[in-house]
Amino acid sequence: MSTGTTTAGRTGSGGRFGRVTVRPEFTLAVLAVAGFVALAVATDGNLLTRGTLDAFFRFLAVPIVIGLAQMVVLAIGQMNLSVGTLTGLCAMVAAWLMLEAGLPAPLAVLAALGVGLAAGLVNGLLVVITRINGFVVTLATMTIIEGLRYGVNGPDTFQGYSQGLRDLGTASVLGLPVVFVFALAVAALVALFFGRTVAGRQLLATGGSPFAARLSGVSNDRSIVIAHGLSGLLAGVAAVITVAASGSVNSSIGDDLMLPSFAAPIIGGVALTGGVVSVAGTCLAAFLVRLVDVMQAQFDINPRWIDLIVGAVVLGAVLLGTVRQKLSKGSP
Amino acid sequence: MTLVAENLVKTFPGVRALDGATLRLAAGSVHALLGENGAGKSTLIKILTGVHRPDGGKIVLGGAELHLNGPLDAQHAGIGVVHQERNLIPGFSIAENIVLHHLPRRFGLVDRARMRAEARRCLGLLDLDLDPDTPVSRLSVAQAQLVEIAKALSVDSKVLLLDEPTASLTGDEADRLYGIVRRLRDDGQAVVLVSHKLEEVFAVADTVTVLRDGRSVAEARPLAGYTQDQVVDLMVGRAYSSVRLADRHVDLRAAPALRLDGVSTARGHRDISLSVRPGEILGLYGLVGAGRSELAKALLGLDRITAGTVEVRGRPVRIRDVGDALRRHRIGYVTENRKEEGLFLDQPITRNVGVTVWRRMARAGLVTDRAERRLVAGYTDRLGIRISSPSQLAGLLSGGNQQKVSLAKWLAADCEILIVDEPTVGIDVRTKAAFHELIAELAGTGLALLLISSDLPEIVTLADRIAVMNDFTLRGELVNDHDYARMSQAIIRLIHMGSRPAGDETA
Repeated sequence: MSTGTTTAGRTGSGGRFGRVTVRPEFTLAVLAVAGFVALAVATDGNLLTRGTLDAFFRFLAVPIVIGLAQMVVLAIGQMNLSVGTLTGLCAMVAAWLMLEAGLPAPLAVLAALGVGLAAGLVNGLLVVITRINGFVVTLATMTIIEGLRYGVNGPDTFQGYSQGLRDLGTASVLGLPVVFVFALAVAALVALFFGRTVAGRQLLATGGSPFAARLSGVSNDRSIVIAHGLSGLLAGVAAVITVAASGSVNSSIGDDLMLPSFAAPIIGGVALTGGVVSVAGTCLAAFLVRLVDVMQAQFDINPRWIDLIVGAVVLGAVLLGTVRQKLSKGSP
Repeated sequence: MTLVAENLVKTFPGVRALDGATLRLAAGSVHALLGENGAGKSTLIKILTGVHRPDGGKIVLGGAELHLNGPLDAQHAGIGVVHQERNLIPGFSIAENIVLHHLPRRFGLVDRARMRAEARRCLGLLDLDLDPDTPVSRLSVAQAQLVEIAKALSVDSKVLLLDEPTASLTGDEADRLYGIVRRLRDDGQAVVLVSHKLEEVFAVADTVTVLRDGRSVAEARPLAGYTQDQVVDLMVGRAYSSVRLADRHVDLRAAPALRLDGVSTARGHRDISLSVRPGEILGLYGLVGAGRSELAKALLGLDRITAGTVEVRGRPVRIRDVGDALRRHRIGYVTENRKEEGLFLDQPITRNVGVTVWRRMARAGLVTDRAERRLVAGYTDRLGIRISSPSQLAGLLSGGNQQKVSLAKWLAADCEILIVDEPTVGIDVRTKAAFHELIAELAGTGLALLLISSDLPEIVTLADRIAVMNDFTLRGELVNDHDYARMSQAIIRLIHMGSRPAGDETA
């Protein structure tokens, strides 16, 4: 495939191998492997020691899930600015319920998921009812949730909650952290949702062209509410992982999740205009961002540079997406 | 002669829009440019305003040949235009809109005083007493129209092109506008008037050019030498070699699948009555903006029906939304705007066809790609859709194949009533003929078809009966005998002749 463009692959003129290699996910996978190997070599194999490897994957779980939380809203061409603070609120609620209300961990986990889902549904309903742009609505709810999150316990830190939950956060299965495997399972469910369920397909229809969707009998309002609700639920999932894996939570949790939530899907090839998602791309991109994080820790780089790098990569990915779109439109 | 455009030729993929058209304009006269849909009027205007470049012919203005590389060139040459659709920026003031293309500047900043003065001068040319600082969004339709003319005059124009200037004006407003047009003529302007309202044309124009099939069949003749009937004859009098499709049998005793009785809508339709039987094709003809697509959308529940009854298969119904129309009443709508409303361009063909039936296909809530591919395979065969693979993105198909995909989704949904809106716009001639056969075939299987089209030959070829719509009302209904010359003249007369109530002209 000398003309290895996306278009050629999508028209199916290339072979099966050609079709795989031109997908953006393939590029990401190659980058991920190459980056991982390079970092392993550069750290003299330190990356491959049991403890480092375990931490690498354990702290990959939240970026994957939070990326997916953003992705489901990007699918309909909107954004959810409140995913980060919502994750924080759900984590605080779970911790509070266990420590202050004395609820058993499973119930607290369910409550955290419930809060996430409810907040997401509220976002969706606000967008549908007020017809205000989702960006503005979630900007407002983000700020409101920030206040609520602080209200749960002020500036204090919750720690010493359910030992079982914390053990789960550090446990491993088949050599991989349980939370990471859990995140992959969630990703698989999201992929199933978009690939196989009627609601998931309708979401993509709404994102691809709201006019065509409406004329095909798809309710765009329903798609919007479902997308935001699912986004909130996934923020709840990210909160549960955070509570389990980090061992303590305070009111600043989730503040640093906004950029990663956009970085993963955007680098992963998800269209900002809606209609196109990639679960594999989002996971791989989260992996790449995590590599950059570890690189910073390994080489003691000023953390500010990391934000700069991630920000630049996001911009580059968007630019690349635009170019790709132009190319595929130019050769019908 | 102020402006002479000679032997203009313009070809688009699959269409020869202009084939040797000539337009001669004299200063101090109003020149009517007439022709039916697709005769080449808009292409001619777009060439004169620099939007398109001609493939042949030349434009001479005041003795010098003109090469227009863009709308700005046309403005500099003194050709002003008021397009059919509004081109003002609502949030800007009148003054800002009028001088938008040549903002007066001082020290790099907009010189607001000079801007206002210039705007006042232009408004003054039209005797318009409007405050230049008023935002355009606060103006009435008629005022906005006049501001557009003022804007066209601001470039010091020698030639003024008016494309359907009265389409959205009331009778009084139109009279006032034509008063201004006469004044501009007396001041020495050459005014070109495109309008489908023949009465107005005869009242205001001095000379006329009639286009037919991209050619001028009457060149700059004095209008006084013609009657309205003669002009209509010129517009449609071509030997159209219509494709004779196989005869279909329509059971005239069958109860209508869809019947409208005295329907009015929130969009402005008044007293619409029509019916379509199973196996029948009812053509709905009208000019762009006549309200046909809007009627279709109201039927689908996208706009409110304010009066009258809609009956589906004999039972009065209230259709709430498209889902309701589709699943409960089996009504489908193939949109005219396939790229924006008909397809998901970035998604595979399978999803484009399956979107209407996912709910039915789902097993335990899940839709498999295999089931979807099976569904699509049936329709690619039946409709002759040429694709390289079912997972090909819809955006990469040709126009004709896109239209077939858009159609397939409604057939998949088992529609019994299908509204097909401008099915062959932008589709090349050969595919068009194949598409016509396909539509006739679908009717043959018992589908009730409402065919919306601005393409006269298409309507005369396909329809069993033809309803003519203008200005959101039905002007009459004709039984189609497939004789192109007779039918096309009857249709054009219904549209162009006066504003008699619909009942008078029913054939």
